[in-house]
Amino acid sequence: MPRFLLRRLLHTLFVVWGVVTAVFFLVRLTGDPTALLVDPSATQAEIAHTRHLLGLDRPWHVQYVDFLFGMLRGDFGQSIQLRRPAMQLVLEHLWPATVELAVAATVLSTLLAIPLGIVAATHQNRAPDHLSRLASLLLQSMPSFWLGLVLILVFAVQLNGLLPAYGAGTWRHLILPAVTLAAAPLAQNVRLLRAGLLDVLPQDYIRTARAKGLPERLILYRHAIWNTAIPFLTVTGLSVGFMLSGAIVIETVFSWPGLGRLIVQAIPGRDFPVIQAGVFVFALIFVLVNLAVDLLYAVVDPRVRLS
Amino acid sequence: MILGKRCGVRSLALLALAIPLCASPAHPAADAEGELIVALPDDTTNMDPRIGMGSIRSTYIRQVYESLVDVDAKGKPVPGLALSWKAVSPLAWEFALRPGVTFHNGEAFNADTVLFNLDRMFRRNLDRWGIKEVPAATSFEKAFPFVTRWEKVNDLTVRIHTSDPSPTLWDFIGREPLVPKDYTIKNGVEAVNDRAVGTGPWKLMEWRRKDSMRLERNSAYWGLQPQFARLRLQVIPEAGARVAALRAGQVGLVDAVPPLDATVLARDPAVKVVSSPQKLHCRLYLNGRPKDTFDSGGRDGLFTDSRVRLALNLAINRDAIIKKVFHGYALANASPVSSVSSGYAAQEPYPYDIARAKAMLAEAGWRDRGRGILEKDGAPLAMQLLFPSKHYGQAFDEVTLAVAEMLKDLGVQVTVRPIDFATLLQTVTKGTLPYDGGFTSCRTSNNLDADDYLRDWTALSLINWAPYPPELLELYKATRRELDPRKRLALLADLQRNVRDWAPVVSLYQEIKIYAHSPRVVNFTPLTELNMDFRGVALTK
Amino acid sequence: MPRAGAAKRLRRDGAAILGLLVLVAALGAALLAPVLSPGDPVKNDLLGRLSPPMWLDGGDRAHPLGTDTLGRDVLSRLLHGARVSLWIGLTAVMMAAILGVPIGLWTGYRGGWPDDLFMRLGEIQLAFPVLLLGIALLAVLGASLVNLILVLGVSGWITYARIVRGETLSLKERGFVEAARALGAPDRYLIFRHILPNVWASIVVVATFSIARVIIAEASLSFLGLGLPPPAPSWGAMLDEGRNYLTTGWWLALFPGLAILLVVLGINLVGDWLRDLLDPRLERGI
Repeated sequence: MPRFLLRRLLHTLFVVWGVVTAVFFLVRLTGDPTALLVDPSATQAEIAHTRHLLGLDRPWHVQYVDFLFGMLRGDFGQSIQLRRPAMQLVLEHLWPATVELAVAATVLSTLLAIPLGIVAATHQNRAPDHLSRLASLLLQSMPSFWLGLVLILVFAVQLNGLLPAYGAGTWRHLILPAVTLAAAPLAQNVRLLRAGLLDVLPQDYIRTARAKGLPERLILYRHAIWNTAIPFLTVTGLSVGFMLSGAIVIETVFSWPGLGRLIVQAIPGRDFPVIQAGVFVFALIFVLVNLAVDLLYAVVDPRVRLS
Repeated sequence: MILGKRCGVRSLALLALAIPLCASPAHPAADAEGELIVALPDDTTNMDPRIGMGSIRSTYIRQVYESLVDVDAKGKPVPGLALSWKAVSPLAWEFALRPGVTFHNGEAFNADTVLFNLDRMFRRNLDRWGIKEVPAATSFEKAFPFVTRWEKVNDLTVRIHTSDPSPTLWDFIGREPLVPKDYTIKNGVEAVNDRAVGTGPWKLMEWRRKDSMRLERNSAYWGLQPQFARLRLQVIPEAGARVAALRAGQVGLVDAVPPLDATVLARDPAVKVVSSPQKLHCRLYLNGRPKDTFDSGGRDGLFTDSRVRLALNLAINRDAIIKKVFHGYALANASPVSSVSSGYAAQEPYPYDIARAKAMLAEAGWRDRGRGILEKDGAPLAMQLLFPSKHYGQAFDEVTLAVAEMLKDLGVQVTVRPIDFATLLQTVTKGTLPYDGGFTSCRTSNNLDADDYLRDWTALSLINWAPYPPELLELYKATRRELDPRKRLALLADLQRNVRDWAPVVSLYQEIKIYAHSPRVVNFTPLTELNMDFRGVALTK
Repeated sequence: MPRAGAAKRLRRDGAAILGLLVLVAALGAALLAPVLSPGDPVKNDLLGRLSPPMWLDGGDRAHPLGTDTLGRDVLSRLLHGARVSLWIGLTAVMMAAILGVPIGLWTGYRGGWPDDLFMRLGEIQLAFPVLLLGIALLAVLGASLVNLILVLGVSGWITYARIVRGETLSLKERGFVEAARALGAPDRYLIFRHILPNVWASIVVVATFSIARVIIAEASLSFLGLGLPPPAPSWGAMLDEGRNYLTTGWWLALFPGLAILLVVLGINLVGDWLRDLLDPRLERGI
């Protein structure tokens, strides 16, 4: 177990290093931010001076080594656009805005999936099942940003500001973006849960429980549900990646002041330190969650070999 | 701004009297303790004015920091931190400073403050003050190398010396917002940006990047005070969301209302729509540089012939653009100078006249040989149109695409190449614009004088793709030397007329900025400048 | 439960038929776009800008679904947009499979350092938000049809590599492969004769679902302003133009979204059916 853990941690470090290295060179291929910082009437000499002040006239390998050593100290440099420590900016946008949104969407997609999945499984091949399947398919088939636009159109425009269409602050601001972000994972969860329950329900211990006269609801929510946990866990691990990627677009649609929008705005601004720090944090979250899921696996199901 | 209207004395520019506090007439039902929430499309990237000022940034920066020269609602210069300014000799300007002004932290504003700011602008003595240099948008020492030195005449008088006569010195130095000296030296230039302390009507309380800025009224302000206690500048990037927020009562005032929404809102009695022409001048720049001034591969720019550029100007249906895309919220302006700059002289509009355009092109050798394309020596009149989409807003993007079609109709082989704004800037900075390249872009100005626009075609720069021919350069230099205001105006008008005919760019439109606000907001007047001004504005209950 | 099974198959088939119908309609629209379109998808007409769909006040029969911000016919752009979406979907998925399948076969069969290398590379890529990768790459390369396909195609290899690698790993331990190897069959023969035919089904299923994902990814990139250069009609770009007109021209954002929804739904239905038909084991995985 400790050796396994060590190996996985090394993998994780390698992956994070790979991601930041890729992003470091990728952003530099897009050019540099100097021209954005000067007046349009600036001449070559003025631009060169600004580039020098930013340290962007140094060779890439020098900048890269500098960046790696900075990163080891937790220093991702100053945001070029906002003149502030990049990591501080990233963390300010991650917490609370992006975490709030991702957690709300995860909770929503899980909590709603349970009753819907149960209804679908207990009414297999009858109207409620078809309905829930169709709804899942529809939700999975639409671009999330379009769903966001439609929700804005309905709730913020047609219903005259019933729910706010932008920004963060109160729980009412959270509703539309969280619902939008939750839609696709919700659909997936319902399908998974239904399939899992259909596997579990005919099994002996459920029949025994029924024979003992336990109420059906108890059987479903206590016994059956827990046995569908494993596929759920896997998908949750993967859906963190989806949530982070999804957040990039959804945060843009709803002007949600989160990390996704920060990075999306940093790219046209060529704000290298912010992009680097933001992608580092995204990648770190992704690999850590997946690591945690793998470990949980072992806990939930000891049969899973830790190899 | 309301200053000019309310306090008549002030509008006498250059020799105004010292009236430290203007009586602020209280609105009958004013909510003196209220908060006004203003929705803007973006946050400012910086508060330190040295880093740069732009259309969005000005609104934030100028609430907190002030400059020597203020403006009224019509864009006319009025006393700000200086009571008056004048050229005391052909080679020296003098600013008389406003007495009794303090920064938000209590630091006094005086001649030392101004000298320190001049040092920072021209990057002098930075070591002596122990402050770092910031990457700045304007390099004063390079743009205005003729400014030689500055001195303190007394505590409230500063004199600035130049090596050449400089009629616009009051403008390019006077409009720069000033930061406190001791505070900056003690806390470093980062503090000027992060925790801005100015002399302005609003004190910065909290700045959440990319989200909102909260400000509190400066009760010690020397001038006309706002009639409400708190101001919040809230970022709402989507225009539709800004308008929805106003309708739902979540915000009191909205910046940058799209023209079509403005026409709808104008019919709504619960909303007031106000607008004012802006300095944003949007154009199609064309490669008219000679081959030795860019990465040309040995060919001159395809648009070096001014007849070709003029012809393209005649192929643009500005009327349709302004009526249909802007619903009247834009101007056609054939002068290179914005219509609200001082020194502007209206020019004869470019008519929409395809036949004349074709005739002019034929004169320059470009003829349609029956294939619907203009050709010369077997080569087509092609244009790679670099299009910075999603930078200047929806209307700009639509206009660019419409213009591409209009030029195609003329027989130009246009290829639209969308490109991200930073990449466009790199391309023009490095001089790698294709020889048949063009790009659409907008020019604005932080200054009041026409000079800022007319300087564009002097030194080779990002946007100078058609350098002045020698005779126009001479004319420009003459405007730069002339100290007599009347003679200078005549020279400026002459230059503008020449530039109109020489047509360095295809002029598209000048923006009219639209604001919408709730009827609770009283006395809000849009400026022709880049920023919003809340002095004298009241909020009713 | 023979009855339920039959009912299930029938229902499934019904859904699949629906999906197929939608796809055929989309393909038809794409192929026949020039014939079916009431107008020119590119030509603009500022004076006829933002005309609503024909059943609304002020609508025009010449433009059944209204006109856009430059006065172009929305229906014509939708029909031509089907070409763009389907073309990008098909070519990008093919490119991803062409890259990913050999890598999966090779790494699964050989193991060792190539396996380690490619799987780590894959993990790095999975940890890199796809959209950000797209945004950055398109900023470097410039937005064009070819670059868009390149970006969407190249970033998809890992899905195929992982699945093919997993199947190859388990197949090569199977009796028939081991037997063939014992008889001295060369590796290339084993891979192409015994392994590839057995992973084919999974590849087809994964590819089908991938087309749907690519179409949505293309729309997302276009939505962020990195799609096809104008004036080419693309559903994502149309959505993007429309979002500034939610209050004043809702049809601009609504119709392209519906078009994406329908096509993706069709692909998903067909994908479900293919999965049940070809590879029931995949049910849980995807």
